Amino acid sequence: MSATGSSNPEYVNARVRSRRGALYDDEDYRKLLRMGPAEIARFMEESTYEEEINALGARFSGVDLIEFALNRNLAKQFNDILDWANGRLYDLIARYLRKFDAWNVKTVIRGIYTDTPREEVETDLIRAGEFGDRRIERLLEATTIEEVVDSLDGTIYGRPLRAAYDDYEESGVLVPLENAVDRAFYENLLDGLVVNEATEQYREFLYAEIDFRNARNALRLARSGADIDPSEYYIDGGRLFSATELSQLAQNPDELVSRIRDSVYGDRLSSALDELERADSLIGFERALEAALLEYSGSLGHVFPLSVSPVISYILAKEREVENIRAIARGREAGLSEDEIEEELVIL
Amino acid sequence: MFETLPELANVALQAEGTASGPAIEPSAAAALAVGLAAFGAGYAERGIGAAAVGAIAEDESLFVQGLILTVLPETLVILALVVIFLV
Repeated sequence: MSATGSSNPEYVNARVRSRRGALYDDEDYRKLLRMGPAEIARFMEESTYEEEINALGARFSGVDLIEFALNRNLAKQFNDILDWANGRLYDLIARYLRKFDAWNVKTVIRGIYTDTPREEVETDLIRAGEFGDRRIERLLEATTIEEVVDSLDGTIYGRPLRAAYDDYEESGVLVPLENAVDRAFYENLLDGLVVNEATEQYREFLYAEIDFRNARNALRLARSGADIDPSEYYIDGGRLFSATELSQLAQNPDELVSRIRDSVYGDRLSSALDELERADSLIGFERALEAALLEYSGSLGHVFPLSVSPVISYILAKEREVENIRAIARGREAGLSEDEIEEELVIL
Repeated sequence: MFETLPELANVALQAEGTASGPAIEPSAAAALAVGLAAFGAGYAERGIGAAAVGAIAEDESLFVQGLILTVLPETLVILALVVIFLV
Protein backbone atom coordinates (compact mmCIF):
# COMPACT_ATOMS: atom_id res chain seq x y z
CA MET A 1 0.00 0.00 0.00
CA SER A 2 2.43 2.63 1.12
CA ALA A 3 5.88 2.90 2.58
CA THR A 4 4.75 5.21 5.34
CA GLY A 5 2.98 4.40 8.59
CA SER A 6 3.76 1.59 10.96
CA SER A 7 4.18 -1.97 9.83
CA ASN A 8 1.54 -4.61 10.43
CA PRO A 9 3.20 -8.03 10.59
CA GLU A 10 0.32 -9.58 12.58
CA TYR A 11 -2.21 -9.03 9.83
CA VAL A 12 0.05 -9.98 6.93
CA ASN A 13 1.43 -13.08 8.64
CA ALA A 14 -2.02 -14.37 9.57
CA ARG A 15 -3.12 -14.14 5.94
CA VAL A 16 0.12 -15.53 4.56
CA ARG A 17 0.08 -18.51 6.90
CA SER A 18 -3.44 -19.31 5.85
CA ARG A 19 -2.43 -19.19 2.19
CA ARG A 20 0.63 -21.28 2.89
CA GLY A 21 -1.62 -23.93 4.34
CA ALA A 22 -3.53 -24.01 1.05
CA LEU A 23 -0.46 -24.87 -1.04
CA TYR A 24 -0.32 -28.33 -2.60
CA ASP A 25 1.12 -31.02 -0.35
CA ASP A 26 2.72 -34.41 -1.03
CA GLU A 27 -0.63 -36.06 -1.60
CA ASP A 28 -1.66 -33.49 -4.20
CA TYR A 29 1.63 -33.84 -6.05
CA ARG A 30 1.22 -37.59 -6.15
CA LYS A 31 -2.17 -37.11 -7.76
CA LEU A 32 -0.86 -34.48 -10.19
CA LEU A 33 1.96 -36.77 -11.31
CA ARG A 34 -0.57 -39.22 -12.70
CA MET A 35 -2.60 -36.60 -14.61
CA GLY A 36 -2.48 -35.26 -18.13
CA PRO A 37 -2.45 -31.50 -18.85
CA ALA A 38 -6.25 -31.24 -19.12
CA GLU A 39 -6.75 -33.02 -15.83
CA ILE A 40 -4.13 -30.84 -14.14
CA ALA A 41 -6.00 -27.75 -15.33
CA ARG A 42 -9.21 -29.14 -13.88
CA PHE A 43 -7.48 -29.99 -10.62
CA MET A 44 -6.15 -26.44 -10.42
CA GLU A 45 -9.59 -25.05 -11.10
CA GLU A 46 -10.86 -26.72 -7.94
CA SER A 47 -8.18 -25.08 -5.79
CA THR A 48 -6.71 -21.58 -5.43
CA TYR A 49 -6.22 -21.19 -9.19
CA GLU A 50 -9.93 -21.17 -9.99
CA GLU A 51 -10.14 -17.52 -11.03
CA GLU A 52 -7.13 -17.64 -13.36
CA ILE A 53 -8.14 -20.89 -15.05
CA ASN A 54 -11.62 -19.54 -15.67
CA ALA A 55 -10.33 -16.24 -17.03
CA LEU A 56 -7.84 -17.85 -19.40
CA GLY A 57 -9.68 -21.07 -20.18
CA ALA A 58 -11.44 -19.69 -23.24
CA ARG A 59 -8.27 -18.46 -24.94
CA PHE A 60 -5.72 -21.16 -24.14
CA SER A 61 -5.68 -24.87 -23.56
CA GLY A 62 -3.37 -27.61 -22.35
CA VAL A 63 0.05 -26.75 -21.00
CA ASP A 64 -0.17 -23.11 -22.13
CA LEU A 65 -3.28 -22.62 -20.04
CA ILE A 66 -1.56 -24.09 -17.00
CA GLU A 67 1.55 -22.01 -17.49
CA PHE A 68 -0.26 -18.69 -17.93
CA ALA A 69 -2.59 -19.41 -15.03
CA LEU A 70 0.39 -20.17 -12.82
CA ASN A 71 2.18 -16.96 -13.75
CA ARG A 72 -0.90 -14.88 -13.28
CA ASN A 73 -1.73 -16.42 -9.93
CA LEU A 74 1.84 -15.93 -8.74
CA ALA A 75 1.69 -12.25 -9.62
CA LYS A 76 -1.69 -11.87 -7.96
CA GLN A 77 -0.59 -13.53 -4.73
CA PHE A 78 2.51 -11.38 -4.44
CA ASN A 79 0.68 -8.18 -5.30
CA ASP A 80 -1.81 -9.07 -2.58
CA ILE A 81 0.99 -9.32 -0.05
CA LEU A 82 2.37 -5.94 -1.11
CA ASP A 83 -1.14 -4.49 -0.81
CA TRP A 84 -1.53 -5.72 2.75
CA ALA A 85 1.86 -4.73 4.02
CA ASN A 86 2.59 -1.30 5.43
CA GLY A 87 5.63 0.60 6.57
CA ARG A 88 8.89 -1.21 7.05
CA LEU A 89 7.34 -4.58 6.36
CA TYR A 90 6.46 -3.36 2.86
CA ASP A 91 10.02 -2.26 2.29
CA LEU A 92 11.41 -5.63 3.36
CA ILE A 93 9.01 -7.58 1.14
CA ALA A 94 9.37 -5.29 -1.88
CA ARG A 95 13.14 -5.66 -1.61
CA TYR A 96 12.83 -9.37 -2.26
CA LEU A 97 10.04 -9.19 -4.84
CA ARG A 98 12.19 -6.95 -7.01
CA LYS A 99 13.56 -10.17 -8.41
CA PHE A 100 10.49 -10.26 -10.62
CA ASP A 101 11.38 -6.81 -11.91
CA ALA A 102 14.78 -8.24 -12.78
CA TRP A 103 13.08 -11.18 -14.46
CA ASN A 104 10.82 -8.88 -16.47
CA VAL A 105 13.68 -6.67 -17.61
CA LYS A 106 15.65 -9.73 -18.73
CA THR A 107 12.64 -11.16 -20.53
CA VAL A 108 12.04 -7.93 -22.42
CA ILE A 109 15.71 -7.66 -23.41
CA ARG A 110 15.77 -11.27 -24.60
CA GLY A 111 12.52 -10.70 -26.49
CA ILE A 112 14.00 -7.74 -28.37
CA TYR A 113 17.21 -9.64 -29.02
CA THR A 114 15.38 -12.56 -30.61
CA ASP A 115 12.69 -10.44 -32.36
CA THR A 116 9.88 -12.09 -30.44
CA PRO A 117 6.45 -10.50 -30.96
CA ARG A 118 5.32 -8.21 -28.19
CA GLU A 119 2.32 -10.36 -27.22
CA GLU A 120 4.51 -13.38 -26.57
CA VAL A 121 6.87 -11.37 -24.41
CA GLU A 122 3.95 -9.90 -22.53
CA THR A 123 2.55 -13.30 -21.57
CA ASP A 124 5.91 -14.31 -20.16
CA LEU A 125 6.13 -11.34 -17.80
CA ILE A 126 5.36 -11.84 -14.13
CA ARG A 127 3.88 -8.62 -12.82
CA ALA A 128 4.71 -9.25 -9.19
CA GLY A 129 7.50 -6.78 -8.65
CA GLU A 130 7.63 -3.12 -7.84
CA PHE A 131 7.33 -1.81 -11.41
CA GLY A 132 3.92 -0.36 -12.11
CA ASP A 133 1.88 -1.11 -15.22
CA ARG A 134 3.05 2.09 -16.89
CA ARG A 135 6.72 1.28 -16.62
CA ILE A 136 6.12 -2.25 -17.89
CA GLU A 137 4.11 -0.79 -20.77
CA ARG A 138 7.05 1.42 -21.66
CA LEU A 139 9.41 -1.54 -21.47
CA LEU A 140 7.19 -3.50 -23.83
CA GLU A 141 6.95 -0.63 -26.27
CA ALA A 142 10.72 -0.39 -26.59
CA THR A 143 11.96 -1.73 -29.91
CA THR A 144 15.69 -1.56 -29.26
CA ILE A 145 17.72 -2.52 -26.25
CA GLU A 146 18.91 1.05 -25.96
CA GLU A 147 15.32 2.17 -25.43
CA VAL A 148 14.94 -0.39 -22.66
CA VAL A 149 18.04 0.98 -20.98
CA ASP A 150 16.71 4.53 -21.34
CA SER A 151 13.32 3.68 -19.88
CA LEU A 152 14.97 2.20 -16.79
CA ASP A 153 16.70 5.45 -15.91
CA GLY A 154 16.09 6.30 -12.29
CA THR A 155 15.56 2.73 -11.15
CA ILE A 156 18.21 0.61 -9.50
CA TYR A 157 18.90 -1.01 -12.87
CA GLY A 158 19.50 2.24 -14.74
CA ARG A 159 23.15 2.86 -14.07
CA PRO A 160 24.47 -0.74 -14.13
CA LEU A 161 22.63 -1.38 -17.41
CA ARG A 162 24.03 1.72 -19.03
CA ALA A 163 27.52 0.65 -18.04
CA ALA A 164 26.92 -2.84 -19.42
CA TYR A 165 25.42 -1.52 -22.66
CA ASP A 166 28.82 -0.58 -24.08
CA ASP A 167 30.05 -4.12 -23.42
CA TYR A 168 26.99 -5.44 -25.16
CA GLU A 169 27.61 -3.28 -28.22
CA GLU A 170 31.17 -4.53 -28.44
CA SER A 171 30.52 -8.21 -27.93
CA GLY A 172 26.96 -8.56 -29.25
CA VAL A 173 25.98 -11.09 -26.58
CA LEU A 174 23.44 -10.56 -23.82
CA VAL A 175 25.56 -11.87 -20.96
CA PRO A 176 26.82 -8.47 -19.72
CA LEU A 177 23.32 -6.99 -19.70
CA GLU A 178 21.72 -9.92 -17.88
CA ASN A 179 24.56 -9.95 -15.42
CA ALA A 180 24.13 -6.26 -14.74
CA VAL A 181 20.44 -6.76 -13.97
CA ASP A 182 21.08 -9.71 -11.66
CA ARG A 183 23.84 -7.97 -9.83
CA ALA A 184 21.82 -4.78 -9.40
CA PHE A 185 19.07 -6.85 -7.81
CA TYR A 186 21.29 -8.83 -5.46
CA GLU A 187 23.40 -5.91 -4.42
CA ASN A 188 20.31 -3.90 -3.54
CA LEU A 189 18.97 -6.74 -1.42
CA LEU A 190 21.25 -5.92 1.47
CA ASP A 191 21.65 -2.23 0.80
CA GLY A 192 20.44 -0.06 3.66
CA LEU A 193 18.85 -2.95 5.51
CA VAL A 194 18.23 -1.94 9.11
CA VAL A 195 19.42 -4.86 11.18
CA ASN A 196 17.76 -5.51 14.51
CA GLU A 197 16.57 -8.62 16.28
CA ALA A 198 13.67 -9.15 13.89
CA THR A 199 15.49 -8.56 10.60
CA GLU A 200 18.65 -10.41 11.57
CA GLN A 201 17.07 -13.66 10.42
CA TYR A 202 16.08 -12.02 7.17
CA ARG A 203 19.64 -10.92 6.61
CA GLU A 204 20.90 -14.44 7.31
CA PHE A 205 18.49 -15.70 4.69
CA LEU A 206 19.62 -13.15 2.11
CA TYR A 207 23.24 -14.09 2.79
CA ALA A 208 22.33 -17.71 2.22
CA GLU A 209 20.60 -16.88 -1.03
CA ILE A 210 23.59 -14.90 -2.33
CA ASP A 211 26.07 -17.56 -1.21
CA PHE A 212 24.06 -20.32 -2.86
CA ARG A 213 23.81 -18.31 -6.05
CA ASN A 214 27.57 -17.77 -6.08
CA ALA A 215 28.20 -21.45 -5.41
CA ARG A 216 25.86 -22.46 -8.22
CA ASN A 217 27.46 -20.06 -10.71
CA ALA A 218 30.93 -21.25 -9.79
CA LEU A 219 29.96 -24.90 -10.16
CA ARG A 220 28.29 -24.28 -13.49
CA LEU A 221 31.36 -22.51 -14.78
CA ALA A 222 33.62 -25.23 -13.44
CA ARG A 223 31.53 -27.91 -15.13
CA SER A 224 31.12 -26.17 -18.45
CA GLY A 225 34.85 -25.54 -18.64
CA ALA A 226 34.13 -22.30 -20.48
CA ASP A 227 36.86 -19.73 -20.50
CA ILE A 228 34.99 -17.04 -18.60
CA ASP A 229 36.25 -15.06 -15.68
CA PRO A 230 34.12 -16.22 -12.72
CA SER A 231 34.52 -12.94 -10.91
CA GLU A 232 32.37 -11.37 -13.62
CA TYR A 233 29.48 -13.38 -12.27
CA TYR A 234 30.36 -12.80 -8.68
CA ILE A 235 27.64 -11.23 -6.56
CA ASP A 236 28.84 -9.05 -3.78
CA GLY A 237 27.44 -9.32 -0.27
CA GLY A 238 27.59 -13.01 0.58
CA ARG A 239 29.67 -14.43 3.39
CA LEU A 240 31.10 -17.58 1.91
CA PHE A 241 33.31 -16.40 -0.92
CA SER A 242 35.17 -13.31 -1.96
CA ALA A 243 35.58 -12.52 -5.66
CA THR A 244 39.19 -13.70 -5.91
CA GLU A 245 38.51 -16.86 -3.93
CA LEU A 246 35.65 -17.73 -6.19
CA SER A 247 37.81 -17.36 -9.31
CA GLN A 248 40.33 -19.80 -7.86
CA LEU A 249 37.72 -22.24 -6.62
CA ALA A 250 35.93 -22.30 -9.98
CA GLN A 251 39.06 -23.87 -11.48
CA ASN A 252 38.89 -26.65 -8.98
CA PRO A 253 35.40 -28.08 -8.33
CA ASP A 254 36.59 -30.55 -5.66
CA GLU A 255 38.00 -27.77 -3.57
CA LEU A 256 34.82 -25.77 -4.05
CA VAL A 257 32.71 -28.65 -2.78
CA SER A 258 34.89 -29.16 0.28
CA ARG A 259 34.74 -25.44 0.93
CA ILE A 260 30.95 -25.53 0.99
CA ARG A 261 31.05 -28.60 3.20
CA ASP A 262 33.16 -26.80 5.80
CA SER A 263 30.94 -23.72 5.82
CA VAL A 264 27.88 -22.98 7.96
CA TYR A 265 25.72 -24.55 5.25
CA GLY A 266 27.62 -27.85 5.40
CA ASP A 267 25.15 -29.75 7.57
CA ARG A 268 22.18 -28.68 5.57
CA LEU A 269 23.72 -29.57 2.22
CA SER A 270 25.72 -32.66 3.12
CA SER A 271 23.48 -35.11 1.27
CA ALA A 272 23.44 -32.88 -1.81
CA LEU A 273 27.22 -32.59 -1.72
CA ASP A 274 27.58 -36.35 -1.44
CA GLU A 275 25.41 -36.76 -4.47
CA LEU A 276 27.36 -34.16 -6.37
CA GLU A 277 30.64 -35.95 -5.71
CA ARG A 278 29.23 -39.36 -6.48
CA ALA A 279 26.96 -38.90 -9.47
CA ASP A 280 28.39 -35.78 -11.03
CA SER A 281 24.87 -34.47 -11.36
CA LEU A 282 24.79 -30.70 -11.31
CA ILE A 283 21.01 -30.68 -11.68
CA GLY A 284 20.60 -32.77 -8.56
CA PHE A 285 22.83 -30.39 -6.67
CA GLU A 286 20.87 -27.37 -7.81
CA ARG A 287 17.62 -29.00 -6.72
CA ALA A 288 19.18 -29.73 -3.36
CA LEU A 289 20.31 -26.11 -3.03
CA GLU A 290 16.76 -24.96 -3.67
CA ALA A 291 15.32 -27.42 -1.20
CA ALA A 292 17.85 -26.34 1.42
CA LEU A 293 16.96 -22.68 0.93
CA LEU A 294 13.26 -23.49 1.16
CA GLU A 295 13.71 -25.47 4.34
CA TYR A 296 15.91 -22.78 5.85
CA SER A 297 13.37 -20.05 5.14
CA GLY A 298 10.62 -22.25 6.59
CA SER A 299 12.48 -22.68 9.86
CA LEU A 300 13.17 -18.93 10.08
CA GLY A 301 9.44 -18.22 10.20
CA HIS A 302 9.17 -20.15 13.45
CA VAL A 303 12.01 -18.33 15.16
CA PHE A 304 10.50 -14.86 14.75
CA PRO A 305 6.78 -15.16 14.04
CA LEU A 306 6.26 -11.40 13.92
CA SER A 307 8.95 -10.58 11.41
CA VAL A 308 9.17 -10.68 7.64
CA SER A 309 10.43 -14.28 7.67
CA PRO A 310 7.07 -16.09 7.35
CA VAL A 311 6.25 -13.92 4.32
CA ILE A 312 9.56 -14.71 2.63
CA SER A 313 9.11 -18.37 3.34
CA TYR A 314 5.66 -18.24 1.74
CA ILE A 315 7.02 -16.43 -1.32
CA LEU A 316 9.65 -19.14 -1.80
CA ALA A 317 7.18 -21.97 -1.22
CA LYS A 318 4.73 -20.48 -3.70
CA GLU A 319 7.45 -20.10 -6.32
CA ARG A 320 8.43 -23.73 -5.81
CA GLU A 321 4.83 -24.82 -6.21
CA VAL A 322 4.51 -22.94 -9.48
CA GLU A 323 7.76 -24.43 -10.79
CA ASN A 324 6.72 -27.91 -9.67
CA ILE A 325 3.36 -27.78 -11.41
CA ARG A 326 5.01 -26.40 -14.52
CA ALA A 327 7.57 -29.21 -14.44
CA ILE A 328 4.82 -31.81 -14.10
CA ALA A 329 2.76 -30.34 -16.93
CA ARG A 330 5.74 -29.94 -19.27
CA GLY A 331 7.05 -33.36 -18.32
CA ARG A 332 3.74 -35.04 -19.07
CA GLU A 333 3.52 -33.23 -22.38
CA ALA A 334 7.02 -34.41 -23.32
CA GLY A 335 6.10 -37.97 -22.35
CA LEU A 336 8.50 -38.37 -19.44
CA SER A 337 7.82 -41.14 -16.94
CA GLU A 338 6.51 -40.40 -13.46
CA ASP A 339 9.87 -41.16 -11.86
CA GLU A 340 11.69 -38.85 -14.21
CA ILE A 341 9.29 -36.01 -13.47
CA GLU A 342 9.48 -36.64 -9.75
CA GLU A 343 13.23 -36.11 -9.88
CA GLU A 344 12.59 -32.63 -11.23
CA LEU A 345 10.38 -31.64 -8.33
CA VAL A 346 11.43 -29.94 -5.13
CA ILE A 347 9.05 -31.14 -2.44
CA LEU A 348 9.58 -30.78 1.27
CA MET B 1 24.73 28.30 43.20
CA PHE B 2 26.32 26.35 46.06
CA GLU B 3 25.31 28.98 48.59
CA THR B 4 21.64 28.39 47.85
CA LEU B 5 21.88 24.63 48.39
CA PRO B 6 21.36 24.55 52.20
CA GLU B 7 18.37 26.82 51.82
CA LEU B 8 16.88 24.55 49.18
CA ALA B 9 17.38 21.54 51.43
CA ASN B 10 15.60 23.38 54.23
CA VAL B 11 12.59 24.08 52.05
CA ALA B 12 12.45 20.46 50.92
CA LEU B 13 12.63 19.14 54.47
CA GLN B 14 9.90 21.50 55.60
CA ALA B 15 7.63 20.44 52.77
CA GLU B 16 8.06 16.79 53.75
CA GLY B 17 7.27 17.62 57.35
CA THR B 18 4.01 19.38 56.63
CA ALA B 19 2.53 17.00 53.97
CA SER B 20 0.83 14.18 55.86
CA GLY B 21 -0.42 11.06 54.06
CA PRO B 22 0.18 9.81 50.48
CA ALA B 23 0.43 12.00 47.42
CA ILE B 24 -2.91 10.84 45.96
CA GLU B 25 -6.04 9.37 47.47
CA PRO B 26 -6.33 5.53 47.55
CA SER B 27 -9.40 5.55 45.32
CA ALA B 28 -7.61 7.70 42.76
CA ALA B 29 -4.68 5.26 42.79
CA ALA B 30 -7.07 2.35 42.23
CA ALA B 31 -8.66 4.19 39.32
CA LEU B 32 -5.21 4.72 37.82
CA ALA B 33 -4.44 1.01 38.19
CA VAL B 34 -7.60 0.01 36.35
CA GLY B 35 -6.89 2.56 33.65
CA LEU B 36 -3.38 1.25 33.11
CA ALA B 37 -4.66 -2.33 32.98
CA ALA B 38 -7.19 -1.31 30.34
CA PHE B 39 -4.40 0.36 28.38
CA GLY B 40 -2.39 -2.87 28.46
CA ALA B 41 -5.39 -4.89 27.37
CA GLY B 42 -6.02 -2.52 24.50
CA TYR B 43 -2.43 -2.81 23.31
CA ALA B 44 -2.58 -6.60 23.46
CA GLU B 45 -5.84 -6.62 21.49
CA ARG B 46 -4.32 -4.48 18.77
CA GLY B 47 -2.00 -7.24 17.63
CA ILE B 48 -4.46 -10.07 18.16
CA GLY B 49 -7.25 -8.19 16.41
CA ALA B 50 -5.09 -7.50 13.37
CA ALA B 51 -4.08 -11.15 13.12
CA ALA B 52 -7.66 -12.32 13.69
CA VAL B 53 -9.04 -10.09 10.94
CA GLY B 54 -6.34 -11.38 8.62
CA ALA B 55 -7.24 -14.98 9.37
CA ILE B 56 -10.98 -14.30 8.98
CA ALA B 57 -10.37 -12.60 5.63
CA GLU B 58 -8.83 -15.85 4.35
CA ASP B 59 -11.28 -18.24 6.00
CA GLU B 60 -14.63 -17.04 7.30
CA SER B 61 -15.17 -20.06 9.51
CA LEU B 62 -12.52 -18.67 11.86
CA PHE B 63 -14.82 -15.82 12.95
CA VAL B 64 -15.77 -17.31 16.33
CA GLN B 65 -12.22 -18.30 17.24
CA GLY B 66 -10.96 -14.90 16.16
CA LEU B 67 -13.52 -13.11 18.28
CA ILE B 68 -12.74 -15.17 21.38
CA LEU B 69 -8.98 -14.72 21.04
CA THR B 70 -9.39 -11.00 20.44
CA VAL B 71 -11.31 -10.38 23.67
CA LEU B 72 -9.16 -12.66 25.86
CA PRO B 73 -6.96 -9.77 27.14
CA GLU B 74 -10.13 -8.21 28.55
CA THR B 75 -9.63 -10.54 31.52
CA LEU B 76 -6.79 -8.21 32.49
CA VAL B 77 -9.25 -5.37 33.06
CA ILE B 78 -11.69 -7.58 34.96
CA LEU B 79 -8.92 -8.74 37.29
CA ALA B 80 -7.78 -5.15 37.74
CA LEU B 81 -11.30 -4.22 38.84
CA VAL B 82 -10.68 -6.30 42.01
CA VAL B 83 -8.46 -3.45 43.17
CA ILE B 84 -11.51 -1.17 43.35
CA PHE B 85 -13.07 -3.39 46.01
CA LEU B 86 -9.85 -3.72 48.00
CA VAL B 87 -9.48 -0.02 48.79
